[in-house]
Amino acid sequence: MIGQIIKKQALVLIRNPVQLLLLVGLPIILILILGVALSSFMNGESPTIQVKLGIVEQEQEDAQLERFSEDKKGELPPAVLNQLDDILPIQRLKEDVFGSDEAAKYITLEEISPLDKEKVLDDNTYTALIEVPDNFTYEILEYSLLGEENQPSLQLFTNTEHQLGVSIVDGILKQFQEQLTLQTFLQEEAINPENLEENLQNVTADVLTLDQQVPISSKDYYTVGMAVMNVLFIASAIGSIAFLEKNIFVFDRIILANVSRWVYFVGILLSGMLFAFLHLVIIFGFSWIVFGVTWPNLLGFTFVTTAYAVAVGGIAVLLTALSYRLHSEVITNFFSNILVSLMALLGGSFFPLGDSSAFIATLGNLTPNGAGMSAYITLLRGNELSDVTDHVAFLLLFGFVSIVIAAWSFPKRGAAL
Amino acid sequence: MLELDGLSKKFKQFYAVKSLNMFVERGEIIGLLGPNGAGKSTAISMISSLAEPTAGDVRYNNKSILKKPGEFRKIVGMVPQEIALYTDLTAEENLQFFGRMYRLKGSILKKRIQEILDLVGLADRKKDVVQTFSGGMKRRLNIGVALLHDPELLIMDEPTVGIDPQSRNYILETVKRLNKERAMTVIYTSHYMEEVEFLCDRIYIMDQGNLIASGTNEEIKRILSSEKTISIKSDQLNEQFIAMLQEHPLVNRVMSTDKEITLMVAKEVSMFGDLTKLAETAGIELTSVHNKTPTLEDVFLHLTGRALRD
Repeated sequence: MIGQIIKKQALVLIRNPVQLLLLVGLPIILILILGVALSSFMNGESPTIQVKLGIVEQEQEDAQLERFSEDKKGELPPAVLNQLDDILPIQRLKEDVFGSDEAAKYITLEEISPLDKEKVLDDNTYTALIEVPDNFTYEILEYSLLGEENQPSLQLFTNTEHQLGVSIVDGILKQFQEQLTLQTFLQEEAINPENLEENLQNVTADVLTLDQQVPISSKDYYTVGMAVMNVLFIASAIGSIAFLEKNIFVFDRIILANVSRWVYFVGILLSGMLFAFLHLVIIFGFSWIVFGVTWPNLLGFTFVTTAYAVAVGGIAVLLTALSYRLHSEVITNFFSNILVSLMALLGGSFFPLGDSSAFIATLGNLTPNGAGMSAYITLLRGNELSDVTDHVAFLLLFGFVSIVIAAWSFPKRGAAL
Repeated sequence: MLELDGLSKKFKQFYAVKSLNMFVERGEIIGLLGPNGAGKSTAISMISSLAEPTAGDVRYNNKSILKKPGEFRKIVGMVPQEIALYTDLTAEENLQFFGRMYRLKGSILKKRIQEILDLVGLADRKKDVVQTFSGGMKRRLNIGVALLHDPELLIMDEPTVGIDPQSRNYILETVKRLNKERAMTVIYTSHYMEEVEFLCDRIYIMDQGNLIASGTNEEIKRILSSEKTISIKSDQLNEQFIAMLQEHPLVNRVMSTDKEITLMVAKEVSMFGDLTKLAETAGIELTSVHNKTPTLEDVFLHLTGRALRD
């Protein structure tokens, strides 16, 4: 009986080309448009943003290092003084940070003579200029190794016309500054300066772990974004079909055939779950074939897809029950016309809105599509299933609560009540 | 077989059906006649167990069906006023789906589907999707679905609304045939009095939620035993003429359309002379004046002062 209801729902959906195009065709078109249009913002492999960055050193770092070694001979052990070459901050900034393979793809660093500083500041082709003041390295070493109170800072001149590039450079410098502060902290906590090098290597190792995550391309991102958004329309499509069944008295006919309303209810629920699962598999399958979006963890993908399908099935049956209860399709229309867009925005389907604030990120994860999106993106980055259990649990809980509310509000007799 | 006892349905302060008493004997065709909004569909919903009455009871074989409608539903076939079909599915797929809902399967279902398709004259269109059907074909399939499980009682709610005369006749003949050949009991609602007159053994007339008359066709028409109906036709009917008729002391009721006026007067009254004079005064020429055999329409007019199709 339930199988017949699911089969009938499938036939009704398949025979409606407009609805089918909206459900399957639209997300594919949107992935194409957004994936291509916004690839420059997200695709680490082919950036179009080019940052031209200058660095002016008012005093050479070698000279400061020599002076520091001479001045602090009595205060620091020889082993530490011998290793100072390895932790020179400006050298690391130039070679390890801005000179890294990843940064070099979109940042070109030029060393500028102090005499040319004004000329560079007038040159609009530069995104920013970093000025390293006199005695900077000497003071950093004092601050890091001897606990001096004053932490020197770099000066950053920015070109307001290159906002995106400026924010990238600013972000990198802030991260660099944090790492320097962390080194100081480790030095203070470790107490024994002999352990400093080991601690610094640990810090480097931590950073490397983060870098090992698989980068997300725009097509990866929008495949997930559009799939988790559009699958919500499965719920509203099923809700609409069910409401039509009520309006044209097909539901009454089913009830008069002595079919329990719970059989119908479960039929709607399972249709929602099954079609949502198939919809996601079709969209992700298409993206795999056409865009090369692959899943490192197939078991995790199946797990998240199943949990998300449960949530969508819950929404489908909830929309059905509410429209039956209210004798109106307004709630289904509100869901598909307004709520889906709002949830998609919060969940990050259009752009990673959650990156702008922790509150919005939390709010986004409290939507089923947001939780699904976070889970999928985490898996695409190469994380394990254990890293997405929170999201999966939320999706299952969301589905369960929706089903309970739907069951409670489902009409007792026929639609004519 | 079926008994309605003081059945009422109230929506806020409004009674859709008020204290409806009715009985149906096995093998009868019962007509429920009334204009739109009379409460026929609400009554049908309660009789079929789909809607819960505010008051009263529905008894099938002396047992109330309100709390446990399961047994009753097995013997009821319902033809709703709406086309309760999946228009994206074929006729055969619709019958298969509803057949499965009625727990028919395998060869029994297949045989039953073929019988129904033959009965409603759609065997050659069984593979076509319903949305390509004419209104009459949809109505016939709508009836066919209700007959899948071979019900004892067929409830039909305005099954001929909006279809061509040919399909209408086909449906009426089918209902007659089902009643005669299979002794199927039928409750038939309509606002077409000629359908009810043609089909039904007994008739219940409803208006504004109330039962206003009941009995056989002849019994109901006897209500008009003290009156007669005069039909006046003219291409030039005007307001002045109608107003004069309404003010005439011997005329009980006047009902007018574009080219016809129906009068109700006492049986012994002769109106021909007066009508000619009034027509002359109003400046119109009458094309025909004749006494009509009373119809259910006339009964309804007599009882409510309004036409059935108002």
